[in-house]
Amino acid sequence: MSALSAIMYREGKIRATNLTFIFWDLFYPLGYLLVFGVGMTQAMGMKPLAIGVDYNAFFLAGVLGMASFGIASNTAWSFFMDRDNGIFFEMLTYPMRRAEYLLGKGLFNLLVSIAQAVVTVMLAEIVLDVPIRWSSLPLLAAAVFIGTAGWFFFYAIFALMIRRNDVFNTVTSVFYFILLFASSMFYPVEPLPTPLRQLSWANPITWHVDVLRYATIGVGQPAIVWLEAAGFLIFTAAAFAGALWALKQQ
Amino acid sequence: MADAIVVHDLRKTFTRRGQPEVRAVDGLTFSVRRGSIFGLLGPNGAGKTTTLKMLTTLLRPTSGEITVEGFDPVKDPLEVRRRISVVIQESAADLFLSVVDNFGTFGRFHGLSSSAIRERMDDVLDQFELRSEANRKVMDLSGGFKRRVQVAKVFMIDTPVVFLDEFSTGMDPILKRSVMARLRQEATRGRTIVLTTQILGEAEELCDDILIMRAGRQAARGDINTLKLLSGGLYEISVTFAALPESLENAIAAYHPHRVEVTQNSALITVREQEGRVLDLVAHLGRLGRVLRIEVSGASLEDIFIELTAAAPEVST
Repeated sequence: MSALSAIMYREGKIRATNLTFIFWDLFYPLGYLLVFGVGMTQAMGMKPLAIGVDYNAFFLAGVLGMASFGIASNTAWSFFMDRDNGIFFEMLTYPMRRAEYLLGKGLFNLLVSIAQAVVTVMLAEIVLDVPIRWSSLPLLAAAVFIGTAGWFFFYAIFALMIRRNDVFNTVTSVFYFILLFASSMFYPVEPLPTPLRQLSWANPITWHVDVLRYATIGVGQPAIVWLEAAGFLIFTAAAFAGALWALKQQ
Repeated sequence: MADAIVVHDLRKTFTRRGQPEVRAVDGLTFSVRRGSIFGLLGPNGAGKTTTLKMLTTLLRPTSGEITVEGFDPVKDPLEVRRRISVVIQESAADLFLSVVDNFGTFGRFHGLSSSAIRERMDDVLDQFELRSEANRKVMDLSGGFKRRVQVAKVFMIDTPVVFLDEFSTGMDPILKRSVMARLRQEATRGRTIVLTTQILGEAEELCDDILIMRAGRQAARGDINTLKLLSGGLYEISVTFAALPESLENAIAAYHPHRVEVTQNSALITVREQEGRVLDLVAHLGRLGRVLRIEVSGASLEDIFIELTAAAPEVST
């Protein structure tokens, strides 16, 4: 059994010890969509946005992006758990490369995020009548997969370099606030004031959510979406390199 | 038979902004014979754990050379990791997993098949008396049991080199004895065991070869008999009085004792003196009060350790 599958096995075993956690992971994006999305749609009087879809359809990609972001930060936080349990340093003496440790830890959770996305998208169509573009399912899977990986590697840099759990939690709260709200997650970027719009365009969450939106409901200009996808791939590669560097400093 | 571990002029320096440079390991050279039990001893801060971390790929040396089973931990860390198993000083286990799942995941990391894991787990559960706790989560076990799980894991696999950093912490004496016997067996089978310990009796009993470190450097090296020769004139006098004489400390002060330990009506006195002066001291002790028992012996590893690593004589009661 390779190191990658061994570490995935370990992550799976740990996750399986808490069924509530699994249930929450799979269904919370849908809950978010139902509560926040439906609430916003009702509050805004069910009017379609300028881009021609209602808020539920628009927000679906935002919810998927948020779920990726959440799984990624939780997975990165588990480095603290491993450190507290002492197993972190012992595992660094196991027969695996540092890159395999990072990838393996991420991979199991990437699979969870794909399952989560499938559940959310299916129920969004059935319950909320969101017009899903099923032909783009492979693109959706790739966007969820790479998106979660990118954010996991990004957060892993901080989880590995910061020694204190409370400092890491503060850092993630700041990232949540800045990255989530200065992006296309909750609202279209185009009508925003210029500084916020520019900040949003420079934000990898916007790139990620725009690809998810294109993959789920077909909204977006293909040329821009592909550019954003390429940008996110570069961001993921850079974050991986950063996380690997941080792991090698341990 | 080739050496399992070779270390040459190893150095590790830590630099922190605004603080003076710390030389944790400073020019250490040694080798470890394959199939032997090698003890790395020293007081806190001597550099034992830093040395162990460099041998186990956890830390890059500042300079110097290391080979573990012929591989350099810096250039070929994966090859080294394939050949070692490590018990680190801190408690380390997957707390959310059961004992069995801890063994299972460890075995998988080291490439064991499911059937091999089951087979070896049976043996390890029995040896470490973990059978009744097998399905409990490690987080629900006592500190001693958590340590058992951690140490037991290295017997699940057959890596040629085993590193144990303070392995016996939290173990009861019976289990410790059984683990020591198992370590001896493993060494006989050809595995190389490298251990650090603060319990010198453990090292005295177990190690074929001992390196005593002080301030990152080698203070002494050899098997237990060679180290005892270093004691040159160091004697241990164990005396039990019917009632501890009040003048004991004053009476022995003239002999400049290396160490004095007084427990109830007994005293353990370590001195470096000529044989004649030692006999004189024994006679002197006899005059202080009624002696129930007196015994004179050569220095123990603990005496040598204290002489080599402590700056001043130590008196404890």
